[in-house]
Formats: sequence, structure tokens, C-alpha cells
Amino acid sequence: MAEARAHFDATEGALIASGDWHADAVGALPDLGGKTVRILDGAGIAQLDTNGAWLLLDAAGAQAELRGFQPRHLVLLQLVAKHAARTGVVPAPRREGAIELAGRGAVAIWGHVVGLLDFVGRLSIELAFLIGRPWHWRWREFGAQVRDVFVGAIPIVAGMLFLLGVVFAYLLGDQAVRYGANIFVVDGLLLAMLREVSPVIVAVLVAGRTGAAITAQIGTMKVNEEIDAIATLGLSPLAVLVIPRIVALLLALPLLVFIGDIAGMAGGMLVAKEQLDLSYRMFSDRMLDVINLKTLLVGLGKAPVFAVFIAMIACRMGMTVSRDARSVGEHTTSTVVQSLVAIIILNAAFAVTFVQLGI
Amino acid sequence: METVIAVENVGTVLGGHAIHRGLDLNVTRGEVVALIGGSGTGKSVLMREIIGLLRPQSGRIMLFGQSVWDATPDQVNALRRRFGVLFQDGALFSSLSVEDNVAAPLFEHTVLPRATCRQLARLKLALAGLPADVARKRPSELSGGMRKRVALARALALDPELLFLDEPTSGLDPISARAFDHLIRLLADSLGLTVFLITHDLDTLFSIIDRVIVLAAGRVLGSGTVDELKNIDDAWLRDYFAARSLGRESAHGN
Repeated sequence: MAEARAHFDATEGALIASGDWHADAVGALPDLGGKTVRILDGAGIAQLDTNGAWLLLDAAGAQAELRGFQPRHLVLLQLVAKHAARTGVVPAPRREGAIELAGRGAVAIWGHVVGLLDFVGRLSIELAFLIGRPWHWRWREFGAQVRDVFVGAIPIVAGMLFLLGVVFAYLLGDQAVRYGANIFVVDGLLLAMLREVSPVIVAVLVAGRTGAAITAQIGTMKVNEEIDAIATLGLSPLAVLVIPRIVALLLALPLLVFIGDIAGMAGGMLVAKEQLDLSYRMFSDRMLDVINLKTLLVGLGKAPVFAVFIAMIACRMGMTVSRDARSVGEHTTSTVVQSLVAIIILNAAFAVTFVQLGI
Repeated sequence: METVIAVENVGTVLGGHAIHRGLDLNVTRGEVVALIGGSGTGKSVLMREIIGLLRPQSGRIMLFGQSVWDATPDQVNALRRRFGVLFQDGALFSSLSVEDNVAAPLFEHTVLPRATCRQLARLKLALAGLPADVARKRPSELSGGMRKRVALARALALDPELLFLDEPTSGLDPISARAFDHLIRLLADSLGLTVFLITHDLDTLFSIIDRVIVLAAGRVLGSGTVDELKNIDDAWLRDYFAARSLGRESAHGN
């Protein structure tokens, strides 16, 4: 391999190149400083490829006379010159300002709202059709979904809520112990866990775990034209893919919240014994005294609503993937973001409603 | 002539099935060689072994005189700069624009400024016969034929000496397929490339190929020009070439 070399001969205005000219030869080009090259001399060039040819032509300019090149290099230079002229200069895309980006974002959000409403409409029609025909339900798919969504999520839900119970009880206890109100930690923990923490945290976990998985799976099926294949077989993609997932999540999320409730209280119980000298017996007696069905049901009642929103957002985003890998990624991200926003808005709406209704 | 690809006594077992049993073949510089064979004869597997994606159980594969599977990672990377691959479905990066797809090898393997890389990418797109306005599009906005051309431009980005093409004309209509064939031959002749391609397309074989290698039962059944292969007594090969003459006759009948 001969190293690429080039120098500029000022007396005849010639750029004289030698050696092997590849893409990496760019460093060998001399600084011309605005001088015009009249002659491009390639007598010493041993190897030349299209990248090297383009670099030489670009440095010398279109008017330069070609001198001393071997015939096969000359052919290559002419090929490159011919095609380089056709490439032209494509203008760079204009950068968008903050207002344009905000506008684009607002249109996108509006699109999601309208899209979700449209999806609810289609789903209702499909459900109305299926309601009287239980033999059309995909029970097998439903069972597989329940296993994935519910059984698979038990360890993470129980573990997470147990740790949150520990943290809550510890911080509450730290305050309560100053007033000698150790026993009231149970009241506070019970209310916080059952009403707010467990439903919201479990919904967030499921949105990240199951929502993302649903979008990625349905989206990839869309990319592989599997959805089209289902439709061509005379089946409804909504009945086959979407409804089993929604119903499975509808069933699984309240159960997961209940498991979360138990795990959270167990975590609190452990801390109460170690930190507040409340025996397990005292803790559970107090818990039985203060618990009422309303507290439990408020928490469990939110779960199906969260579940329906997570499942519908995830399925809709999966079905609207366009046919490339990048789109699957974007839609999966969007599913998680939309689900979290929906959970927080719904939770706020519930809080206000329950207060107004005196629940 | 210099041997560019040398496959020596390669044996491959995949999922308990013997795919190649002592396979030998050679490709010399400047040849346009086609690999044919029935489904499941291990054509794509062989190509993946040659380009260093899949390790054969036995035998040796040499590229430019360097054993692919005994080389250090640096040597393999140096080898990879010397060949380009066109995958069957193009395998374009869907998150990048067309010109960045083609410029990606230049970004990674050269010291050129990014603007120059993009200029060179546009040159490669023009060489592949694409109009200038596709440069800023996304791969998903292009037709199948255009995607193949973009993939070819990417395979040519680093000016390889050797080009691997996996079924270059599959999924293209006959007119685009013939145009693509002629583009490959034109580039091979003008850039002095060695081309190794897998194909099922008889028209490709008859129009642009110097030599055909036939795989059957894990070995090379025969190698030579199309006319030489017609003399080989093999049921699959007879059916294979009969498929074309049948097609021709019915076309004349119309």
C-alpha cells in the first residue's frame, strides 16, 4: 500500500497526487487557500476508488484538466464526475422553533384524544357483537393473557408494595413516636396504602410492564403483517387481540391491587414491631378495628378504571404502528407516557369526586 | 488470478441437520459468481459463514488470503472494510434517513468530516441510480426496488473490492429486476468489483453472471457457465432450467 500524497504546484496551477487514494486519503489534500486548480495530475496514483476520486475532483473543481491518469482511473473519474453532478445540493431541513414544536405537540395530543375516542367506538361495536355470542370469545388467548399479566406481575407488585409499606411505616412511626401515638401508625398506613398508594403504584407498574409489552407485541405483529393476515382470515383483530387483553387486565389489576394492599400492610407490620414495639397481634387487632369496607373498595374500585385505560391506550398504540422498527419504539414510549398521564388525571378526578360525595 | 474467496472443506451442522459436508469453492478477483441451489441447501448459511456472522463446525474460510475464523477482531474489522453486503430485505436502519444509512459506514470507518461523508453518500446513491431527492427521506417512504438500491449504495459506501448480494432481485418486478441486474454488472465492470450473489432468478443467471456454482446435498454439485451446467445430469438442475424454457414457450404461445 502506498501512502496517498498530494501537493500544489503554484507555477502551473497543478494539484499533483500520488499513492493510493481512498476515503482516508482526505488528510493528504493540501490547503489550497482559495487558489484555482487548472490541472489535476494523477500520473503517480497507484490505486483509486470512487471515494478517492470524489475527494480529488472536489478539491480540484470541475474545470480542472485531468492529466497523466491511467486509463482505468480516468474511466472511474468520469463516472464519478457524471454522477456527482447529478447529486446536487439538497437544502438542509429548516429547524423548528419553540412555537412550532408546541403546536406540533398540541396537534399530536389532540390526535391521541380523538384516536382513543375512535378506538372506544370501534371496540363498543365489537363488544356489542360479541356480547351474545360467547363461542366467539377467545378464551385460550384470554387465559394466556391472565397468566402473563397477573401471575407474572405478582412478584414485582408484592415486592414493591412491601418496600413502600416499610418506608411509609418507618416515616409515620418516626413522627408518631414523638407524640406517643404509636398505635395510630396503623390507621395512617391502612388509609394511605388501601386508598392511594397501592392502586396508583400498581397501575404505574402495570402500565410500564404490561402496557409496553402489549404495544410492542401488537406493533411487531403489525410490522409483520400478522394483523392483516388475521383480518384476511375473516377474524376481527379487535376480538382476537384487543378484547382478551382488555378483559385480562380488567380482571388482573384489582387482584394485583389487593395483593399490593396485603404486601404493603405486611411491610408496615414488620417495621411497627421493630421500631414502635407494636406486636403483630396488636397491629392486626388495631387494623381490624379501623378497617372498613369503604376504604378497601375505594382503592379496589379505581383499579378497573385504570386497567381499561392502560389496556386501551396500549392496544391502540400497537395497532397504529407504521411499518418500521423506529415506529414500534416511539409508540411503546408513547403508551407508557399516555398511561401514566391517564392514571394521574383519573386519580385526581377520583379524589375530588370522593371528597364531593363525602366518601 | 488472485483468489478472493476460498472455502475449504467446510462442514456445518444446524439444529442437528448437516447442512454442508466438506464444501469447497473458490472465487477469483473480478468474477461475478452466482450461488444457486434448492431451498434448504444452505446458500444463505454459507454466505453468513463467509462474511463472519456464523461459525462453521469444521473447515476453513479464507477472504483475501486471511482466514475469517482465525483472525483477531481487529483483522476481522479490517476485512469487513474490504467487502460490502446487500441483505435480502435491504436491512436499512429505519431510524436513519436514506443518506445517513449510506453514510453510516463512512461515519464509522473513516476520518472524513460528516458533511463530506454525506456528499459521498449522495454520490453512491446516484451511482445506484437513485434521484437526488430520496437522500433525506426515510427508508419506510421508499418502494421495495428503491430500498434495494439504497442498500446497494450502502454496501458500496466504503468502495469494497468484494460485494455479497443475497437474492438481489427477489421481491422486485421483472423490469426493476433486470434494471438492478444491469446496474450490478455496470458497477462490477466500472469499479472492478468481485461479486458473489445468491439468486433464484434465472434471468439474472443468463444475463450478468460469469460463473454459476450449484449447491446440492451439502457439496458443490458443479460450477461453470450456464451452458456447461446444462450438461450435468441432475434431476434438480434439469427441473430448474426446464422452468425457464417452459416459461419461454408459454410466452411465445401467447
